[in-house]
Amino acid sequence: MSLAGAIAGGVVGTLVLTSSLRLTQVLGITRMDIPLLLGTMFSEDRRRATAIGYAVHFANGVIFSLGYAGVFYAVGEAGWLFGGLLGIVHAAFAGGTLVNILLPAVHPRMGTPWTDAEETPVLEPPGFMLMNYGRHTAIGTLLAHVAYGAIVGGFAAGL
Amino acid sequence: MRENGYLPIRDYAAIGDGRTVALVGLDGSIDWLCLPNVDSGAVFARLLDAERGGSFQLAPSEPFEVERRYEENSNVLQTTFRTTSGTARVTDAMTLAPGEVLVPQREIVRKIECLSGSAALAWSIEPRFFFGRKRTRIERRGKRLIACSRAEALALGAWGAGEPRVSDTRIDGELRLREGEGAVLSLTAAHHEPAFLPGLDDTEHRLRHTQEFWPGWIGEARYEGRWREAVLRSALVLKLLVFAPSGAIVAAPTTSLPEWIGGERNWDYRFTWLRDAAYTLNALQTLGYEDEAHAFLWWLMHATRLTAPRLQVLYRVDGGVEADEKTLGGLAGYRGSGPVRAGNGAAKQVQLDIYGAVMHAIWLHADYHGDLGGETGRAIAAIADYVAEVWRRPDSGIWEVRSDEKNFIQSKAMCWVALDRAARLAEDGLIPNRSRRWRSEAEEIRAFIDEGGWDEERGSYVRASDVRELDASLLTLSLMDYAPGDDPRIVGTIDAVRRDLADGPLVARYRGEDGVEGEQGYFLACSFWLADALARSGRTEDAITLMDELVELANDVGLYAEEVGANRAFLGNFPQGLTHLALIGAAVSVSRAEETA
Repeated sequence: MSLAGAIAGGVVGTLVLTSSLRLTQVLGITRMDIPLLLGTMFSEDRRRATAIGYAVHFANGVIFSLGYAGVFYAVGEAGWLFGGLLGIVHAAFAGGTLVNILLPAVHPRMGTPWTDAEETPVLEPPGFMLMNYGRHTAIGTLLAHVAYGAIVGGFAAGL
Repeated sequence: MRENGYLPIRDYAAIGDGRTVALVGLDGSIDWLCLPNVDSGAVFARLLDAERGGSFQLAPSEPFEVERRYEENSNVLQTTFRTTSGTARVTDAMTLAPGEVLVPQREIVRKIECLSGSAALAWSIEPRFFFGRKRTRIERRGKRLIACSRAEALALGAWGAGEPRVSDTRIDGELRLREGEGAVLSLTAAHHEPAFLPGLDDTEHRLRHTQEFWPGWIGEARYEGRWREAVLRSALVLKLLVFAPSGAIVAAPTTSLPEWIGGERNWDYRFTWLRDAAYTLNALQTLGYEDEAHAFLWWLMHATRLTAPRLQVLYRVDGGVEADEKTLGGLAGYRGSGPVRAGNGAAKQVQLDIYGAVMHAIWLHADYHGDLGGETGRAIAAIADYVAEVWRRPDSGIWEVRSDEKNFIQSKAMCWVALDRAARLAEDGLIPNRSRRWRSEAEEIRAFIDEGGWDEERGSYVRASDVRELDASLLTLSLMDYAPGDDPRIVGTIDAVRRDLADGPLVARYRGEDGVEGEQGYFLACSFWLADALARSGRTEDAITLMDELVELANDVGLYAEEVGANRAFLGNFPQGLTHLALIGAAVSVSRAEETA
């Protein structure tokens, strides 16, 4: 088990996660656009927001790998299977709490279920498991995070 | 106003944003809108199926009279409804983004104002994503309503427009306004991203920005002739047909509006035809729109790289070459004129005239700018070599016939144009010089046309070397400088077209068979080509008279379809770029002839 491996897995896993979420968008499975959602916290310029969003999401992916590493050390076990299981928890947290509740609470341009957006332009809120962006979004998010977790777990265990 | 649920094609006006176009009916119903782009699936297609197509209706709840116009020099539409209770005005626009701000991908705004008395209006939105082939769900986000299907969404904004009522796949509302009161409805579209839910202030800001943009854009147009209003409207229509992300220009924003009611001549025109290239470049440069002309040329050079030196008849607006034609089941077609098609099989045809159109367009651009660049120059020379090689083969011609290929005379003449322009470019040092070969082949083409394409008895050029029929496309020969406008053979062809193909100002393309069953209307571009050719032949008065008659044929807001029937009803896709391009070309030619006469 190695911290460097977990971080390397975080880098690779985030690339896979971001690419697979983008693929689900292009395939018309979801309207979820994580870089846009994150980037519009910082900029009103759509292009700049997307660029910032990719950077933030990438950084998040690496930071989350530290959390995975912490769990691996605490439990004394790492591997692609365990990492994949943690990915399920990660997806549930991201879709059920992080993006669903925390992001709208701090996002200056995102609506909440109780906002009627009379004043400023706002983004549609994600809803539980981001299903406002399409009902299959939850499945895509889950699978992408399982892949991320498996990669981090695998790298941490030295493959 | 509607017959079996359908409005006459003439009753539509177009609004757009440089990515897509919506058609607004005289009764206030938006019956056509493809999202996110003009060549995407339709979300409103009542135009092609009155019951299942989907629409965004907005009209008085009581009997009304209606008149409409575009705001001056603008693509923002104003429809005024008069009832016994009062007068209401609806302003329709697809908004443009004011700078680098967070805005919806696409947005339709409908602003309602009560001008006098009181006005009771009703509205309903029935989105049918992907031509109605995918299920639409309507969901709530707080107080907002969103219609979605797969990764597409339409978010409704309604201010002062009554409490929306939701049924299964439809949103309805009613409102009553008193004099001086207003309401706003907006639909914002999201494609593969979260929907935007703008507020009223932002929506009105974008509408004002859009209202200011159009007069500023058209104010740059250079044309002061007698048909200025028609020319400016045509330029505004062309701007709607420009796909801003790439600079390509679609032939029309619709598919499958029939060339004859009940017929099967229903084609998808939401592609860019290379044929239109020369006319487009010419029109844009003549009117002073250098940016648009330059963007279109770059699109053209970029798109054709995929197939060069062979050119495809048409390309997608993003430059792609796939345009497979398929029938869309589930839509009845305009007034039952099925099938409804998406894609266009003509993409696979051989149409030799396009080489002349492209070369002429490039020559026009180079003539103006004096430079092409080395790589582009080599690509152009390779195209000329290809034309010198293939001009003898039969093709499907400018009219894209679906019968056997023939040696169409207009195609041969356009091959001559291609080689002539290439030789001129080479002699000016702009492309590699193989002009001796090109000129030699061009002379062979001319000999072929003089021998096989001329009918001494009829006194005109003919459709094909083995078809002794007339063809109105032969009017383009003088327009493309194949021969001077007053050349006896050109004049003879003009006279023959007027005698055998024209009915007043209307001109049929040809009378013979073309491999498709059923009749067709008169082709409006041919009428404008006739006016142009008349002016070039020195018959300016005839050209002026014809232009005046043709300008009268436009609908109430100055738009044209592809064809008209003998009863003046519009037929074919709408609004039609080629018709408006031909109008601009003819107006400029006739005005020049008038000045020099």
